[in-house]
Amino acid sequence: MNYLQYYPIDVVNGEGTRCTLFVSGCEHFCRGCHNATSWDASKGTPFDQAMEDRIIEDLGDTRIKRDGLSLSGGDPLFPGNLSGILKLVKRVKADYPEKNIWLWTGYTLEALSPAQQEVMQYIDVLIDGRFELDKRDLSLPWRGSGNQRVIPMKSCIH
Amino acid sequence: MTEIIKRDGSRQPFDAPRIVKAVASALNDAQIKDNDFAEYVAKKVANTVAGQELVDIYDIQDQVEHLMMSSEYHNAARKYIEYRQTRDIERESRNALSRDILSIINQDNEELLNENANKDSKIIPTQRDLLAGVVARHYAKQHILPKHITAAHERGEIHYHDLDYAPFFPMFNCMLIDIEGMMTNGFRMGNAEIETPRSITTAAAITAQIIAQVSSHIYGGTSINEIDRIHAPYVRKTFEKHLQQGMRWIGDEQKAREYAMEMTEKDCYDAYQALEYEVNTLHTANGQTPFVTFGFGLGTSWEERLVQKSILKNRIRGLGKNCKTPVFPKLVFAIRKGVNFNPEDPNYDIKQLALECASKRMYPDILNYDKLVEVTGSFKTPMGCRSFLGVYEEDGKMIHDGRNNLGVVSLNLPRIAIESKGSEATFYQLLEQRLQLAREALMTRIQRLDSVRARVAPILYVEGACGVRLKPDDKISDIFKNGRASISLGYIGIHETINALYGGKSTGDLYDSEELRQKAVAIVETLRAAVNKWKEETGYGFSLYSTPSESLCDRFCRLDKKKFGVIEGVTEKGYYTNSFHLDVEKKVNPYDKVDFEQVYPKHASGGFICYGEYPNMVNNLKALENVWDYTYDKVPYYGTNTPNDSCYSCAYEGEFNATSRGFECPQCKNRDSDKMSVTRRVCGYLGQPNSRPFIKGKQEEVVRRVKHL
Repeated sequence: MNYLQYYPIDVVNGEGTRCTLFVSGCEHFCRGCHNATSWDASKGTPFDQAMEDRIIEDLGDTRIKRDGLSLSGGDPLFPGNLSGILKLVKRVKADYPEKNIWLWTGYTLEALSPAQQEVMQYIDVLIDGRFELDKRDLSLPWRGSGNQRVIPMKSCIH
Repeated sequence: MTEIIKRDGSRQPFDAPRIVKAVASALNDAQIKDNDFAEYVAKKVANTVAGQELVDIYDIQDQVEHLMMSSEYHNAARKYIEYRQTRDIERESRNALSRDILSIINQDNEELLNENANKDSKIIPTQRDLLAGVVARHYAKQHILPKHITAAHERGEIHYHDLDYAPFFPMFNCMLIDIEGMMTNGFRMGNAEIETPRSITTAAAITAQIIAQVSSHIYGGTSINEIDRIHAPYVRKTFEKHLQQGMRWIGDEQKAREYAMEMTEKDCYDAYQALEYEVNTLHTANGQTPFVTFGFGLGTSWEERLVQKSILKNRIRGLGKNCKTPVFPKLVFAIRKGVNFNPEDPNYDIKQLALECASKRMYPDILNYDKLVEVTGSFKTPMGCRSFLGVYEEDGKMIHDGRNNLGVVSLNLPRIAIESKGSEATFYQLLEQRLQLAREALMTRIQRLDSVRARVAPILYVEGACGVRLKPDDKISDIFKNGRASISLGYIGIHETINALYGGKSTGDLYDSEELRQKAVAIVETLRAAVNKWKEETGYGFSLYSTPSESLCDRFCRLDKKKFGVIEGVTEKGYYTNSFHLDVEKKVNPYDKVDFEQVYPKHASGGFICYGEYPNMVNNLKALENVWDYTYDKVPYYGTNTPNDSCYSCAYEGEFNATSRGFECPQCKNRDSDKMSVTRRVCGYLGQPNSRPFIKGKQEEVVRRVKHL
């Protein structure tokens, strides 16, 4: 799994003060995508152990408290990213059960594959659906177009 | 024979004895006796011009200057140059007055017209104010201020603020109005005797009237310290009135109380709505909406909480049919552990309301109680946007309301750094000289008020706004003594100063270098030590003030660019950075910015504000609260710049794009300034740059601001 950007402090992607990771790889190719360079899974930097450790360390920072981790992209549920993402969210939930994880995907919740659903057990809030340019609305919190949904995941493991 | 072209274009034969006379006079001023030297200079110049038919007077003077500078008589050279400059200024100013007046008529002097983003120079009353300002400034420079102070101001070494008002008029800068004293004891305003109000509705109406009156008699901001505490008794009176009525018509006490509470809540909300409208529709004698600040947040009684909630809810709602963000009154919300900081505190709900308000309307800025007391000695609202009083006691009791600031003179620190050419020792020597100048300039402010009688401003001195009831013929000067009033040394551009003085690849950036950070603090400490000394020597409350530099950021930089050219990291951007603030282009998170700036307020305790640039935070109050909480034990006074503009074309609410030509809606690309509400921080105050443009350097600074998140 490759990532394109990592924001150690972020207030724009999800509630509270967060760490946000943008991974590469997406097969939705939405027209008007704000981050089209992220479609190619080979773009960016390999997500290695050091990077995972850094995120874990940032989440545990006591000076600037983080509410949780945000995963965006690209698409964290892109097939090539699933094993990497699963390992990361498992570790975050194990180390910080009180912190939440938000995840942005172009797939819809109802259409997730079993492998994608496995990741979902560790996600607190899901923002799902493709970006649809004709439904673009800058006033919506946490999402870009009216068809996308912000779904609190009751099934999330704590 | 050689002829000289004079300044007015006329010609005159070259006359060597005139040079002898000028040089001799400079030598004499420097207390040097050397008649031969004057003859020598004149002869040298005569030799160079010999054989030429026409020579410009400026060339002659430059040669004289050069010869004197390369001699051993540096002091005499300086006298000669000063004399020449003074003459230049005198000549220049004869034309300047009519030129400035003409530019008001023609509306073509950006510096004059956009100097203050709160003044709408298109309308007649403001033009009358500007005209008065032009004349007052001109007269003060020519006939009131000592020549060398005027010259230093003109050269841009110091800035004598607000010359359009003082010292021509015996006015002071900003204050905390003693509303409590005025309302409790009654007062006279215009032709009316005002008694203690019997309801919050009347109290709010009278408050607006007082603000209007006071704002016309001073040139800086007026603040109401702890307005929740001051207005609480009138909320109580309104409640009692409603309760009486409830008992009469309902009978049942429980029901009557509920009725009275509901009616009072409505009255209180309406009263602050009316007050906000009043402030925003007022036009003071100074040609602008009054610069007024409401401080509140510490009260925990039902009445005080109701005042706090009413102020915030009105602000959240916005002004008028488009629900526009008002820029006045400025709101300053106090945060204190045990009152509203933690979820278990009694006013935590009001902190949440304040967060919502800040996310939508940028105000309130916050005052962190404990830190403010640590830095300035006691709790008080800033006067205007950022001026803080020190501790002052009468009969063992701390007094804040009714006190004031006598004005500011600011130092152009980057100029001193440029002139020092990289030598720290020279910098501190020059700084010492400039400090002396600034002190003299500040003393002229005090002297101007010396023999003034209370009758020039009855509202301030006779009717109680200054917390005293003098007789019209009493002198006012005593109430400014012993630290009751403050008088401030200002400074600008620590960032550019460090670049100019220590710039170079080896040292790197001020933010990244611990060494440079210490150097920067050392400069501010030196300024503080100077004002402490002046205070001790004069008994006046000299304080160090971090100048907001709305138009000064442009002026000093423009003058320095003209004199020294484009210097990378110093004059190139067209503005100087506000006081001790981090470079607006430096990309750091707000937490690190707070850490960087937190060392300064304790030195510059006479005036400061820290802030961070945020994205739109309407949907993330939790993150906004995280930053507020972080500042609690670090900086006393903090503002979160969370732009929330609105587009009347497409109804978009969020941040507009700032460009050097104006603002643009990101959703529909609307650029029509009549169809948008755009609010940005100008200094400690907000402004609406779409309707009243910022001065050029300020707009450039706004365009360059980077988000800290």
